[in-house]
Amino acid sequence: MRRVSVSDPLPFSAPLAAGGEALSTSALPAGVRDVLPAEWERREHLRSHLSALLRSWGYRGVDLPALELADPAHPQGNHAFKLIDSGGQVLALRSEYTTALGRLVGTHFPSGPFPLRLQYGGRLWLRTQTSELGRLREFNQVGAELIGVTGVQADAELLALAHAALGQAGVQAQLEVGFPGFVDAALTDAGLPGPVRAALHDAIDRKSGADLDLLARQHGVSPEVTRTLHSLTELYGGPEVLTEARVLARGVRAEQAVEHLSAVHAAAQEAGVELLFDLGVSRRYGYYTGLTFRAYVDGINQPVLGGGRYALPGGLPGAGFAIGLERLAAVMPAGVPSEPETVLALDFAAATAARAAGLGAELAWTGDEAELRHYAQARGLRRWVQGAELRDVTPADLKIATEVNA
Amino acid sequence: MTAQTTPERRPDHLTLALPKGRIMDDAIALLSQAGLPLTRPEASRALRHEFPGVTVLELRNQDVPVYVDLGVADAGIVGKDVLLEAGRPVYEPVDLHFAECRLSLIREIGASGPIARVGTKYPRAARAYLQERGIPAEVVKLSGNIELAALTGLADAVIDLVQTGSTLRANHLEEVDVLFHSSARLIVNRTALKLRRERLRPLIARLRELTAPAGEES
Repeated sequence: MRRVSVSDPLPFSAPLAAGGEALSTSALPAGVRDVLPAEWERREHLRSHLSALLRSWGYRGVDLPALELADPAHPQGNHAFKLIDSGGQVLALRSEYTTALGRLVGTHFPSGPFPLRLQYGGRLWLRTQTSELGRLREFNQVGAELIGVTGVQADAELLALAHAALGQAGVQAQLEVGFPGFVDAALTDAGLPGPVRAALHDAIDRKSGADLDLLARQHGVSPEVTRTLHSLTELYGGPEVLTEARVLARGVRAEQAVEHLSAVHAAAQEAGVELLFDLGVSRRYGYYTGLTFRAYVDGINQPVLGGGRYALPGGLPGAGFAIGLERLAAVMPAGVPSEPETVLALDFAAATAARAAGLGAELAWTGDEAELRHYAQARGLRRWVQGAELRDVTPADLKIATEVNA
Repeated sequence: MTAQTTPERRPDHLTLALPKGRIMDDAIALLSQAGLPLTRPEASRALRHEFPGVTVLELRNQDVPVYVDLGVADAGIVGKDVLLEAGRPVYEPVDLHFAECRLSLIREIGASGPIARVGTKYPRAARAYLQERGIPAEVVKLSGNIELAALTGLADAVIDLVQTGSTLRANHLEEVDVLFHSSARLIVNRTALKLRRERLRPLIARLRELTAPAGEES
């Protein structure tokens, strides 16, 4: 017989977590969640249609590993989940796609053929996201990258493609174009040294006139330059912004930026895409080298799409965008997608025939009619079919309920 | 729902987040001067006030940046001190130049020992300041009557708002350093500024005119 010692855990105690609290089996880490059938249906419908659209524009799919070697130079390096490999190496869970795609291109397509059009889709993880609505720590993106070419037409193609993708989801979105280099050029042209520029970038990005004035006072920025900086925070709206920017642009870099944006605007108009502009957008991601863009939808606080032009290691140019699947699915109009009706098949022949006819079919698992009726009602299956000729055998009471609903 | 969506609102409707209390009175006076059809809500338990084309949400001041960042409100008014502490990526286009105060490092008069522990309602600002100065002090987050922390020895110093300094003098305390000056700011949601710019742009311009310090060109 086993003697119970006083140090034995009490037989009725709950399993203990590391912190000593009872571990709930229904618990999940913050910022992750289960996706249930209704949302899964919408999201997968969206994913497959987006990917088909991208393919029809010539963007071929690639798949990238979710596990990467941790790299301190990675733009999201500080925000990625880290794991330790068996050899002690630090790994990171994928936190962003463009860098990974750049690696893939460098390995498998070092000499093209360019332009290289690639699409990708999958999950990303961010450790530091506050787990608020719209900022999950585990989320899905679909994206497209156009590698190896640069210029007005390439930028306009991506804007038109982004527009088409959002239109296909049935979402009324507004594309806005920025050019972080414009702010940087304006600051450089004003002769401001590096450390001051970083603080000013941040103030301009927040459109904070008060902080601009404070920094200008602290660093002895002339009143004239300060006025220019204030103007940068006002450069948002329709195409009229480009006219205002042209007046502000002093140096060659700033002038070239405005010229480029004007040409992109003209090309986008030809494609039927209306653009907004914000030339006060300032380096939220350090790696963008040219234009950046995002899509706003009324009623959602985060952009549903974001992208821009960058340079891959070795100088290969690229540009692309990613769509936040959860965000876009949340603003997709109700009623999309229309699911095919699912019927309850009483035998295999009926199930095969129903599927051949484009219906969904679930097989009956019992002959007990009461049990089947109970299940069909809970699951919303209105039609029962039998035999290869799909004889309707729906019980009368269920039929009446269906007709009343219809 | 995975993302913050708001019930359908017409693009010409504005939702504003305002902190309850004195700032709210000043804010409503200023906003109605700027052309919004607002009046001071009568004393009631209502937290949401409807005006023609404008909804006002009455909130605790710490919650104003949250409502604006998440897009439930298009814009709001809140002190720079609260905004810095919230760390929310909202636009802050106008300094409204009221509710002025400063966030200061405060000690008992004559205190000269090392600072090992700091009491404050502003842990984020406090940590940033201490780190910048290379002071390896621990930060204790408190909720009110911060001066007591310095007087009772809970902390060697406190970081708190100072308006006139009379409370400090009455409690044998002095300002050792000023972290920053604060005043009320108009803050705007990043999406709303773009999609509701027909309403927000003129409001921003008008508020700038109304609040520009005398003698300064707008």
